[in-house]
This record gives sequence, C-alpha cells and structure tokens, in this order.
Amino acid sequence: MILAAEEYNVLSIHWDEFVFGSIAFLLILGVVYKMWPRLTKALDERADKIEGGIARAEKAEAEAAEIRQQYKEKLEEAHREYAQELEKAKEQKAAIIAEAREEAQVEARRIIDSAHAQIEADRQQAVVQLRAEIGALSTELASRIVGETLTDGAAQTRVVDRFLEELERSEGSTQAEVR
Amino acid sequence: MSADVNVVAASEPGCHIFNDFGCGFEAPGPSLFFPEPWVDFGLAGTYGLSKYILLLAVALLIAAGFWFFTTRKAKVVPSRGQSMAEMLVEFLRGQVTRNAIGKEGDRYLPLMVALFLFIFCMNIMGLIPGLQLPVTSHLAFPAVLAIFVFVLWNVIGIRRHGVGGHFKARLVPGGVPGWILPIVVPIEALSNFVIRPATHMIRLFATMFAGHLLLALFAAAGFYMFNPTSPMGPLFGAISVGYSGIALLGFLVFTLFELFIMAVQAYVFVLLSSIYIGEALEGAH
Repeated sequence: MILAAEEYNVLSIHWDEFVFGSIAFLLILGVVYKMWPRLTKALDERADKIEGGIARAEKAEAEAAEIRQQYKEKLEEAHREYAQELEKAKEQKAAIIAEAREEAQVEARRIIDSAHAQIEADRQQAVVQLRAEIGALSTELASRIVGETLTDGAAQTRVVDRFLEELERSEGSTQAEVR
Repeated sequence: MSADVNVVAASEPGCHIFNDFGCGFEAPGPSLFFPEPWVDFGLAGTYGLSKYILLLAVALLIAAGFWFFTTRKAKVVPSRGQSMAEMLVEFLRGQVTRNAIGKEGDRYLPLMVALFLFIFCMNIMGLIPGLQLPVTSHLAFPAVLAIFVFVLWNVIGIRRHGVGGHFKARLVPGGVPGWILPIVVPIEALSNFVIRPATHMIRLFATMFAGHLLLALFAAAGFYMFNPTSPMGPLFGAISVGYSGIALLGFLVFTLFELFIMAVQAYVFVLLSSIYIGEALEGAH
C-alpha cells in the first residue's frame, strides 16, 4: 500500500522526466530562436515595402496634381487665346464688311455717275443729230413746198430753229394737256 | 502491483450498469496518469520511458515542426503557414509582451512563442485520439518551464539591478513602514521565491490533470452505462443506452471545453512569465 501511495503521488517530480522535458524545451527554444531572424526579416521587409509604397503613392499623387494644375493652366490659356482670336476675327469681319460696303457704294456711285454721263452724252448727241436731220428734212420739205432752195446756211438754221421752238412749245402744251 | 489490479478491474468483462452480479462502477483515478513505463531505469526518483516521454517527443516534433515549416521560407508576401506563425507572434506581442513588459519585451518574444507552442502542443496531446494524455498532466514538465522562467526572472533582475537591487526590490515592498518589515519580508520571500514558481507550475499541471480526469470519467461512465442487453429486461437496456448517450454528449462538450482550456492555460502561463520578467526588468516599485 505504501508503494501504491508513493506511485500515485501526482505532485512528485521525476527527474528523468524533468531532464527529458528540459531537453525538449531547449530544442524548441533553439528552433524558435534559429528561425526567428527569418520571420522578423520578412516582417521588416514587408514594413519597408509598405512604407515605400505609401511614399511612392504620395509622390505620384503630388506629381499628378502638379500635372493636372499645368494642364488646367494651359487649358485656361488656350481658352483665353481662343476668345482673343474670336474677338479679333469679329473686328476684322466688321472692318472687312464696312470696307466692302464703302467700296461697293463708291463703285455704285461711279457706275451711276458714268451712266448719267453716258446718258447725257447720248442725249446731246441725239439732240444734235436729230436737229441736223430734222433741219435737213425740213429744208428739203420746205424747198419742195416753197420751191426755192434755201442755200443760205444762216437763214436755213434760223428757220429750222424757229420751227423747232414752236414744235417744242406745242409739244410741251400737249404734254401738259395729256397730263 | 496495484496498477495491474486496477487494469484487471477495469477490463473485467461485462461490468455494466443494471447487471445481475453486483459489479459497481469504478471511477478512473490517478492511476491514469501513471502509465506503465516501457523501460525502467531502476534509479531512485526516476519513472522510466513511458507514454509521457513518447508524447513529449510528439509534442516536440509538432511544435518545432510547425515553427520550422512555417518560417523556413519566410517571405514578404506570406504563405498560409507563415501567416499563422505571424498571427501567433503578433498575438503574443500585442496581448502579452507589449502589455506586460513593454517595447523591451520584444527581446523575450521568441521565448514566449516557444513557451506557448510547447505548452499548447503538450496540452493537445490530451485530445489527439489514440494518444489522449496531456503531457503537462505530469508535474515534471510544467516544472521545467516554471523553473526556467524563475531562473530567468532572477538572472534578468540581477543583471539589470544588481544582486542587492534585485532582492531588495523583491523582498522589501516600497512604502511599507520600517517596523512592519520583519513580518513583510518573510512573507514576500515565501510569496515571490517559493509560492509563485510553485503555483506557476501547478496551475498548468492541475488544470490539465483535472481536465483529463474529467474526460476520462465521462468516457468510463459512458462505457459503464452502456448495457442494452441488460439481464433486467429491455426497458433497463434502453435506459442504459440513454444514460450512455448523455455521457457521450458530456464527453464531447467537455472535449471542446478542454481544447479551449488548453489554449487558455498556455496563454496564461506565457502571460504570467511575461509579467514576472517585466517585473524583474522594472525593479523596485
């Protein structure tokens, strides 16, 4: 019975088990310490990478913002230039239109004037020619009727003028009557 | 030998509930924790090579193997195994060393990882089918670890504060009036240098011991109560099966509970180790 009580003493520490336990623990400790640098190295590298990644991302973001600002400025400048060009073009257009109109008016006046002059000249020519022809015809007619030849040029002209005046006068009165 | 007697009693055929030859239930006792050694050294104070040493070797292989294979090819982008190892390390660093020791505790993190892995693997030997005996249920194995931590605690304290500083800090609490010191110093000495390492080892040992005993009780009771061919009739047979089912349910529930306890005890052991080391580093309060 004493042996049994001895054997089942749960608080007893057998030194052979203690030694085996120590060896096992030291082995595990050795493995953990041996492998430890690998894990910490990987963890440190990861931390570095993450930090580096964040830094890179921030830099890229800053660059992007700068470029965006530049584009914005360029775009604004382009808009401004475009507006200026448009303004200039409008002015030019107005100037061209005004010039063209003036030229056209001048041309028109010139054409009208020349037409007037032409008409006047034609009329004068017609009047002179008519007068000469009518004179010749009248003289011819009068000489046939009167039987005498009006050879004297001065007298001839006088007669014709008088005739024409009478004719014009009567014509004017008839025109007035008609009106 | 009484162990033989016990084995014979347990293996007596047909000893179930509702029998007709007056055979009673024999609850499993401490003999569970004294498996017959295969090799006896024949030296005083030794136990010999028993199931405990085999399971110790298995636990060692599992713990060391886990750590070796999960950290062998540690990379920046972790594999599954490496993630598990990292989770363990980060858990112990965040929950144990940083809390108990502070930033300086990172130096002792590998020790804590080794302690946790080793204790947890020794504990779960109690749940692996076919082995089913927690190595830590023999006091010698927790004693190794507790004494290691105790020695380390003294070494760290003496290195940091000198022999006088360390023992003064541990024996003379700050702010205590001089006349009470003759009472306080022996109490502190007993508390810090005897009781504390003892409780450190016994806490782990006793929890595993009791847990294993409880599981063994459920198993033995379930086996004892299973008697469908009872000579008292089919009704009692059915009742015995019902009892047995309850015992099985209890066994399963407590197995889960034990798994939890095993992890918690490993954690508690490591936490206390960290607190002691932190205290030694800190010196006098």
